[in-house]
Amino acid sequence: MLKKKCVAMLLAGGKGSRLSSLTKNLAKPAVPFGGKYRIIDFTLSNCTNSGIDTVGVLTQYQPLVLNSYIGIGSAWDLDRKNGGVTVLPPYAESSEVKWYTGTASAIYQNLNYIKQYDPEYVLILSGDHIYKMDYSQMLDYHIEKNADVTISVIEVPWSEASRFGIMNTNENMEILQFEEKPANPKNNLASMGIYIFKWSILKEYLEMDSRNPESSHDFGKDVIPLLLEEKKKLVAYPFRGYWKDVGTVKSLWEANMDLLKENCKLNLFDYSWRIYSVNPNQPPQYIAHDAIVTESLINEGCVVEGTVEHSVLFQGAHIGKGSIVKDSVIMPDAVIGENVYIEKAIVPSNIEIPNGTIIRPEQSFDEIILVTEELLEKQEPERMGSGE
Amino acid sequence: MNKTMLGVIDATKYIDTLESLTLNRCVAAIPFAGRYRLIDFVLSNMVNSGIESVAIFPKYQYRSLMDHLGSGKNWDLNRKRDGLFFFPSPDLNMPYEHVGAFEHFEQHIDYFLRSKQKYALICNSYTVCNIDYQMVLKRHIESECDITEVRHQGKSLEMFILETSLLLDLIINRNQTGYRSIIDVVRDHRHQLKICDYEYSGYVAVIDSIENYFAHSMELLHPMIWKQLFVKSRPIYTKVKDEPPTKYTSEAVVKNSIVANGCIIEGHVENSIIFRAVKVGKGTVIKNSIIMQKSQIGENCELDCVIIDKDVKVESDVALYGTVQQPFVIRKGTVQGALMNQ
Repeated sequence: MLKKKCVAMLLAGGKGSRLSSLTKNLAKPAVPFGGKYRIIDFTLSNCTNSGIDTVGVLTQYQPLVLNSYIGIGSAWDLDRKNGGVTVLPPYAESSEVKWYTGTASAIYQNLNYIKQYDPEYVLILSGDHIYKMDYSQMLDYHIEKNADVTISVIEVPWSEASRFGIMNTNENMEILQFEEKPANPKNNLASMGIYIFKWSILKEYLEMDSRNPESSHDFGKDVIPLLLEEKKKLVAYPFRGYWKDVGTVKSLWEANMDLLKENCKLNLFDYSWRIYSVNPNQPPQYIAHDAIVTESLINEGCVVEGTVEHSVLFQGAHIGKGSIVKDSVIMPDAVIGENVYIEKAIVPSNIEIPNGTIIRPEQSFDEIILVTEELLEKQEPERMGSGE
Repeated sequence: MNKTMLGVIDATKYIDTLESLTLNRCVAAIPFAGRYRLIDFVLSNMVNSGIESVAIFPKYQYRSLMDHLGSGKNWDLNRKRDGLFFFPSPDLNMPYEHVGAFEHFEQHIDYFLRSKQKYALICNSYTVCNIDYQMVLKRHIESECDITEVRHQGKSLEMFILETSLLLDLIINRNQTGYRSIIDVVRDHRHQLKICDYEYSGYVAVIDSIENYFAHSMELLHPMIWKQLFVKSRPIYTKVKDEPPTKYTSEAVVKNSIVANGCIIEGHVENSIIFRAVKVGKGTVIKNSIIMQKSQIGENCELDCVIIDKDVKVESDVALYGTVQQPFVIRKGTVQGALMNQ
């Protein structure tokens, strides 16, 4: 293998249990987003656009969809002779089967993968976030600061700081303390889960962590505190731009709705920083004569015969006559029948919504409905009663 | 049986009446149906019929065709064994222009000699349909035909199936037989070959003039026709572009239109076909028109029966009109200002 300056390790094994039924059969990074993409497309495209061509993707939970989606990485130009994308599942050794028990253990078990490329730096990423970021600038910063570890941080509102892992820094952005979800935050710089390590430091400390039976083998909980204890140079890299953890049904919905804003900070139409994805290769969308489409993002293969207002439609979605879809996300190949009303909902892939169904939040305006087969079954008597 | 056909696409034909769309490209590369090129249909049909070796014979202006096809990856034709072959004519002065000209084939006879496929399928590049060639081959074999010609409502679609060995014979002995193309053979009745017709009853669009191009494009707005061309189990492949989904703003009004990805629609679009990455400004009304890739239409424009080629910039407050019989064609890469057509 030829030597690489920087190798990326992308943690994509998360279950994302707060996404409920959306992650029943697939890992969180494979959840559809933005009318066309899967969450992991953003991180993989960032790698390609930042000139990082060697990416190890660590998978564990429900990897089938994710594995076949990533393939050999050609969608992101990561099908390379030297480097490229490599999917790294947990494996068995002669003595035992080693599941990835934490973020650090996942990387530790793949140190041999990194070793092949003899890099100077290792970039650790998570496949759970929606953002566009030039990692090469972060790497320059890391080198300039001569840091052992650089952690990307984003300013969050003070009122929300207690929900994040907060970095307490000095005026030189050196990290003095890391606090996971502090009750009384001293700072509002939240960790984005993006780290650049000097390879020698990463190797040394992961080996140290692996020998500690008390450790939960997590970067945030174990490895970063250990590095701070040992007085290593940890530096925060401030990121300004759109960044969103789409860990819940509500935040996934919000991030989709963000794309519909007039001055959306996450510009999908920026050709200098394209977000690549596996293209579904479907015919163009057809907007019928009686359709009304406003403030929406619609992908190829859709057929719209009803009204679509302030919504995101993925490839192959079908909206029947007389139906109204408002403030909603309709995932691939979902079929909405006729005279259906949907508001503030996420309709997962391949679901068929019968004619006359009404789906909208009842209790509070804050609520987002995740449509499931069970929910539709419960609606059955109501529909029959309405004289459909 | 699946693997026994090789595909030959004759992309040499130059059609005078398509000139305003073929200044920078050959007929095979004319954009169609919002995101495709004409050749995508025949090529996808071949791939969907299990053909794994396709030879393309272009002659004029094939740069954009090569750019479009690349390694053939989008059609799954980037193979170690067989795949996509490109055989440009070495001689632009060859006068004979019928589809399936033997002289052009002979320039690349090695391809036919090396191919192991028993049958050859020869097609032109500008017939748009969704046909299963396996059905044609099946009939060809069952009826013990020498050459089968596919027809639609009695009219030839310039698609032929014959044994590769017979094709080789015809190519090599063309000076003795006097037949200069596959069409010559089919039209002549003095030989002993059994010529069969295969009637294809699905939707067909032959693009051989601007009027035809416009009329067939508009036909796509009928869902019944659309469904015949775009079948889920037999997709039409094309070069992928990684465009984001299309964005409709609060002022957008879109009716009975086909819209590809990557567009930003702020105006009114009706009975029209909008290709990838087109921008339609506020207050603009587009009716009965075809707007090709990456063209930008400013604000408060009015367009009716217009074909706008790729990369055209229409400035704000421009009005452009054609008629259904004679659509107004704006050539690739031009700028239309408000004062230019007065």
